[in-house]
Amino acid sequence: MTAVEPDKNGNPLEELSLAQEAWMLAWQQMLQTGERMLKSNGFLGEVKNEDVAIAETPADVVFEVDKVRLLRYKPLAKTRTDIPPMIICYGLFGRQTMIDLQEDRSLVRNLLMAGIDLYVVDWGNPTRADQFLNFDDYVERYLGSCVEHVFEANGNKPVNMFGICEGGTFATMLAAFRPELFAGLALAITPIDFHGDQDNFWRGEGFLNSWVGNLTKDDIDLLIDTHGMLPGEMTGAVFSSLTPIASMTKYNIGLARMEGNEAMMLNFLRMEKWIADRPDHPGEAARQWLNDLYRENQLVNGEFEICGEKIDLKKISCPVINIYAEQDHIIPVSCSKALGKFISKKNYDEIGFPGGHVGVFVSRKAQGVVAGGLVDWLEKKQGKSAAKKKQNRKKA
Amino acid sequence: MADKDNNDGGMDQMFQIWEQGQNAFFKAQTEAMETFNKSFENMPDFSGQIKQTDSFPAWDNFIKSWVPDWDPNIFANQSGEFSNQFTKSGNAFLALLEPANWTKYAPEQLRVILQSIAEGPKFADLATPQHEAAETWRETLDYTQAAADMGKVMQDAWVRTYGRFNKDYSIEDLKAPNPEEAMNAWLGAANHELLETQRSPEYMDAQRRMIRSSTEIKARQKDLAEAWSEMYQMPTRTEMDDLIKTVHELRRELRKVKRELASLKAV
Repeated sequence: MTAVEPDKNGNPLEELSLAQEAWMLAWQQMLQTGERMLKSNGFLGEVKNEDVAIAETPADVVFEVDKVRLLRYKPLAKTRTDIPPMIICYGLFGRQTMIDLQEDRSLVRNLLMAGIDLYVVDWGNPTRADQFLNFDDYVERYLGSCVEHVFEANGNKPVNMFGICEGGTFATMLAAFRPELFAGLALAITPIDFHGDQDNFWRGEGFLNSWVGNLTKDDIDLLIDTHGMLPGEMTGAVFSSLTPIASMTKYNIGLARMEGNEAMMLNFLRMEKWIADRPDHPGEAARQWLNDLYRENQLVNGEFEICGEKIDLKKISCPVINIYAEQDHIIPVSCSKALGKFISKKNYDEIGFPGGHVGVFVSRKAQGVVAGGLVDWLEKKQGKSAAKKKQNRKKA
Repeated sequence: MADKDNNDGGMDQMFQIWEQGQNAFFKAQTEAMETFNKSFENMPDFSGQIKQTDSFPAWDNFIKSWVPDWDPNIFANQSGEFSNQFTKSGNAFLALLEPANWTKYAPEQLRVILQSIAEGPKFADLATPQHEAAETWRETLDYTQAAADMGKVMQDAWVRTYGRFNKDYSIEDLKAPNPEEAMNAWLGAANHELLETQRSPEYMDAQRRMIRSSTEIKARQKDLAEAWSEMYQMPTRTEMDDLIKTVHELRRELRKVKRELASLKAV
């Protein structure tokens, strides 16, 4: 770095030429960026919304209750009879379409290709008419009914559940509330201890926890009472603020960097389509989520109730696999891993995915780590070889 | 204490608002005029031809009257000092640009007065609209203040970002064959500062107050919409919500009864 002296009259003339040079450089950069941006703009001008297809794997609606639908996917390989059917349960802050975003990045397709009989819960589009739905409704009534349906379809035998994010919390509560329905519980990026290990959060981790903790109970009550629902736009804005620069630059620098590359642009647009489809969260359930869980941490304290009964996580009796994202901005690792304290060691496994919250499902790497890890776990716990081992142990 | 019978309290408070607002206005005017006078004190005579040698000192004097510690070399000195120019001195010019300096006076006094009106005793047939107007005004002021505070917090974050980037990068670095590196460094610096800022008590406090006050304004809008609905014989939002709640509770009871019946049948 060079210090610049003023000229003989003491005027800072040198700075002018430096400033000019800087402007020239900036101008050149702008031209180059503009050129790249034009390529991306050209693509955007041609592509239609219908070209950006998500969640295309074929499925049938096999059960409905109010707005909730249970989808059963058509098999893509010979269905395995040794592994019980699996129900995937997403949360209410986004849509389940995330798990089937595109053909080569689809948890749904990966599980179907492994021969799993697969069901997915679609919560529908809650409106203000659904504002009084709470955790009793979502856990016991809706999710419970879906699981009962598959349980019956499976010859009254327990089934597997894969809960994701808030859906993972629902699934965990139901597994503790009605353990007889579960053969196995898989979770991904699921908050259990809503406070986590705050002293050891890395920069950017746990912002959501601090953000909610900063609001008083009265603030949250006023918010829910006024809006009836927790608006999707608001939760979307909070999620965007977790990665501030990525959110600010995706439509400018981000698009320019893609230079109109079709595959990259379509990946980006599919993700945008998913983000734009963010439903409002039913008010009473949101009040419990924010006040009872985020603020008061009632689940790990054994105080949270479903239908008047306290949820005891130690009642979960099936094998559990807990998948967390090591760079998760939304759910800190310690918030997810806390479940391990409540499950016996022989029944508890973990997979740490080296990526972020959404990357667990949409990144290329995740297809092997998450879907592959899940199938391996099912094989180990419930596959034919596992059954043989059990038989051998019995004989011995 | 206000005389309730005559409702003199309201008038006193209105006088207080007017008096304090006027004082703040005159004080600001006096300070601005003093600085203006000072800035033109040493101006050369430009009536004839302007000499090249006079123009820079004159410009320098003018700037320094507003920014006493102004250093023109600062543009070339890329050691991060540039950013501090906007924060380290409480000088007159920059004070004008600093929202926290001019938003905190009268609005806070006004807020206290409005709060006291809104929280004061209510009468059956008198001054109800005034109470509500005071509360609405207070909520709007709260939002404006919170938004200004948030603006200041974010402005400081960007100034720090500039300083951080300036420390590490010079024009020479920007001439490198791949300027993407500089762009990434800028984005990295910004991300770092914004994430740090988001964890700061100032950010958290301003954001909480923004959420609170904007929700209060939304609730007030709801009240207005309900008054309109009532006026035109239409069902209000509250009535609809009451109905939805009733249906929801009935369905819950029905489900409970069904379950009890099913368990009785099983026996």
